Amino acid sequence: MTEFAQSDLSQSDLSQRDLAQSDVAQPSLAQANLARDTSTRDASAQASPADDSDKPALSVRHLTKTYAHATSPVLNDVSFDVPKGKVFVVLGPSGSGKSTLLRAIAGLEPIQGGTIALHGDVIDEGKPGRLTGRSKRASALRTRIGMVFQSYDLFPNKTVLGNITLAPTLVLKRKSSDVRDEAMQLLERVHLADRANSWPHELSGGQRQRVAICRALIEHPEVLLLDEITAALDPEMVREVLDVVLELADNGQTMVLVTHEMRFAEAIADHVILLEDGSIVDSTDDPKEFFTHPQSERAKKFLGSFEYKRHDSQPASDRS
Amino acid sequence: MSGVELLLQPSVLPRLLSGLWVTVWIAVVSVAGSIPVGLVTGWLMTRRNAFVRFLMRLYLDFIRIMPQLALLFIAFYGLARLWNWNLDATGACVLVFILWGGAELGDLVRAALQSIPASQYDSAYVLGLSTWQTYTRIIIPLALRRMLPASVNLATRIVKTTSLAVLLGVVEVVKVGQQIIDVYRFRCPDGALWIYGAIFLMYFFICWPLSLLARHLERKWSHD
Repeated sequence: MTEFAQSDLSQSDLSQRDLAQSDVAQPSLAQANLARDTSTRDASAQASPADDSDKPALSVRHLTKTYAHATSPVLNDVSFDVPKGKVFVVLGPSGSGKSTLLRAIAGLEPIQGGTIALHGDVIDEGKPGRLTGRSKRASALRTRIGMVFQSYDLFPNKTVLGNITLAPTLVLKRKSSDVRDEAMQLLERVHLADRANSWPHELSGGQRQRVAICRALIEHPEVLLLDEITAALDPEMVREVLDVVLELADNGQTMVLVTHEMRFAEAIADHVILLEDGSIVDSTDDPKEFFTHPQSERAKKFLGSFEYKRHDSQPASDRS
Repeated sequence: MSGVELLLQPSVLPRLLSGLWVTVWIAVVSVAGSIPVGLVTGWLMTRRNAFVRFLMRLYLDFIRIMPQLALLFIAFYGLARLWNWNLDATGACVLVFILWGGAELGDLVRAALQSIPASQYDSAYVLGLSTWQTYTRIIIPLALRRMLPASVNLATRIVKTTSLAVLLGVVEVVKVGQQIIDVYRFRCPDGALWIYGAIFLMYFFICWPLSLLARHLERKWSHD
């Protein structure tokens, strides 16, 4: 488990919040996200934004999870903090528990041990006996965490705009005209404003995924979870989605993401953890170093699995 | 008298149409009754409780294995007499068709509910939708889209199967046709072809639009 330097975090928070309140002509995704602190945050957080800025946006402690009918836990005593505005990348071989970790944070999987907290508010506590079903957390709490899935999962019976505006109007009870305006701004940012009235099935995978990102962002989540969001996409569509994610990172959106795009992970990460068999086996604040000169054997082995080399690539003179 | 002349007799078409009305009435009441039965059955079929699922399975299999005619005879000659029930032939038909339609529709509802990917529930949960909102805004609309084409086809099957009512003595369109043929047996020997031909067209013009509707819905929602 690691904490990392938060020296000028609160400073930059303040300046961004000022930006959010003054009506600047160029709307940005980050502004929309920060607006939550002053207006729409109606959930359990009582503390003023200034007070919780020193607490990590997301804090996971001793998280343990076992699937029903499984003998060993899929997540075993996992702890980490994600400071506000930082990008946290979870790496690991398949079956290591990466997706389960994100699903547990989102409340989609019950946890049997540990706690999950947002800005210091504990939103989920492990209950040893509960193996199935989603977490019982309240609707308002769930809106504080956004999640985008590998398979987009737009609602096929709603248009692009309908998908984005559904939750803010239904759950956050916001005025539909406001929600609509904000949805259009978000769509503009991801270059899909002209598709607002299209149906999900009329869009490409990359377009659907960008809509799914907008659908999560309009709730101004304090933490955005991205679960292998480009894994189902054709290579040429990966770029358009990852560019959106990079822009979010630049604008200070707190994110936890699982990805198999190593060069993207290297570019976006503020912090990297490596999961293996449900435990954190490597953790670093220095992603550049991690990807270029991995220190631990496990990191070397994992990163090595993305390298390709022909077995007969040694010089001809070596061959007998 | 030729067949065409027979159809143009002043009493023939109105009598056939009044018979058709009985057919349509039985079919509409049966379909309308099948809908609530089917929704409840389908919902029960997706419950976790093994006993409830077993009961529903038994109900569905019993109805499916038995020919509809056998069900009609059991209801009309068997149960109604056994329990000294004042059930007329039309009532017996409606009862059987509701039980049959309800079971078949229930299976369609079950399949539709189960075909909706868990990820749709996940997305709705993460966005903060309540269980009620998830069902009314997402799951039920999607399930309806998936089951409507097959349900419309089921309705056409119910319309066609109402012709079995003739064997209980219900005076619906086929029975009226038989009566007309009997009356004109000697004056119009090939009347049967024309009368049954007219009845065929009547069924056709009821079921064909339904069939077109089903195909249209299927194409419209094929992408979900």
